[in-house]
Parts: sequence; structure tokens; C-alpha cells
Amino acid sequence: MSTLTDDVFAALASPVRRELLRLLLDGPRTVNDLASHFDMRRPSVSEHLKVLRDAELVSEHRVGRERRYQLEARPLVDLQDWLHPYERFWRERVKALRDVLEDM
Amino acid sequence: MTDDPRTIRVDEFLSHPPAKVWQALTDSELMARWLMPNDFKLEIGHRFTFHTRPIPAVGFGGVGHSEVLDFVPEKMLQIAWRTAPDDASSLDSVVTFVLEPEGTGTRLFVVHDGFDPDDPYQALSRRIMSGRTKGGWKGVGQRISTVIDESLT
Repeated sequence: MSTLTDDVFAALASPVRRELLRLLLDGPRTVNDLASHFDMRRPSVSEHLKVLRDAELVSEHRVGRERRYQLEARPLVDLQDWLHPYERFWRERVKALRDVLEDM
Repeated sequence: MTDDPRTIRVDEFLSHPPAKVWQALTDSELMARWLMPNDFKLEIGHRFTFHTRPIPAVGFGGVGHSEVLDFVPEKMLQIAWRTAPDDASSLDSVVTFVLEPEGTGTRLFVVHDGFDPDDPYQALSRRIMSGRTKGGWKGVGQRISTVIDESLT
């Protein structure tokens, strides 16, 4: 199929993890911030974040005493490719068309 | 990203007049530079092939079989978009380019229609994207596109 790994699909299979990714689409967040959106204990949220990290959908960065999570673009590109391959195809083609028009 | 699984719509403002965009859309050599190498001719019923990179995610082997279905000079071009008979998945779809003057430029609409909603690839993607269940991804597609666009520029 594509370069997407089973890890990515397993990660996306959980509504909690999809919600975590949705929250991270707005920008990096701390674990506490993320945990406050869920009615579960923080270690459980951390477990879900670990699954996302193992799938390389998110990365973890230490900022001072806090750990911050952010989205990784590359697997998202693969995911987008898989979900709607032709949409990405046409976006790229139209960008190339723009360059051709500049040269004409 | 549209929620209709049968259609993809992309629109883009181009700062060039429709006549120029039309030329880029219908001149075989110019098309080769932005779309893909081809033996296109602006002639209703003309059959031609496109050669491009394969898209394994949809079982597209890289050769598109196409046909000019309809056109209105400087306004609309409609072509068939079919996969090769031996590709892993079959697609018999239609791509319509619509040019609308906007200021001194052109708004280009690309509508790719005719995806099979029962295709297993499509069905699985809908299950992930479905907004009906809690934690579905309705509306997230557009934001993913934005994140990707930002990361590519």
C-alpha cells in the first residue's frame, strides 16, 4: 500500500488518540494541557501519547520543566496521501501550473 | 478536503488572465511541465495517456488513460481519468477544469469526480474521517491540509 506503518493505523484506531491529534493540530501543548481535556488520569493520557510517539505521529520536547508534544508533519503527509491521494496530487499540480504560468 | 467521498475539489487563484491559463491547460508541451507528459490534443473524443508517478495508496500504476470529453475555450475543459486495466484498483473518473475571471486573474477550479464510495480504500478512510461517531475526524482534513501546506513551504 503506502509507506504508512501499522503503528500509524493502530494509533489512529483510538478515539482518544484521534482527539489528542486534533488538539495538537492547533499547535504544541503540554501533557497537563492535553490531559485536562480528558476524563481520565494523567498516566493514561501519557500512555496514549506514547503510542502516538512510537508511531512518530507526535514528538516530545522538553521546555524548562515541562514536556511538550507537537505533531510531526511527515506521517501526516502520508496519511493525507492515503486518505485522499488525488487531492494532494491536484494541489501539487496546481502549484506547478502556477510556476509554468510565471515562465510563459 | 470535501466530505463527499466521490468528489475532490481544489480551487486556486492564479494571477494570470484566463486566456493564458487556458493555453497552459491545453498545450501538450505546457501540460507536460505542470501536469505530466502526454499526447493531448484539444479535440473532443481524442484519447490520450498521461505518464506520472504511481500512487500506490490507491493502486494507481502511473499511466492515466484519458479522453477529451468536452471543452469551452477559455472556460472549461473536461477529461476522462481512467486507470490502466491491470492496475490494482480501477477508477473511471472525470476531471473538470473550470476557469472563472477574477479581477485581472483567474480562479481555477479542479473537480475530480467519480470515485467509488464502495472501494475498500475509500470505505476505510471514511470510517476514520466520519463525523457521526465521537472522536471522528470531520473537518480535520482541511486543517491537516493546512499543516502540510505550511510544512512544505
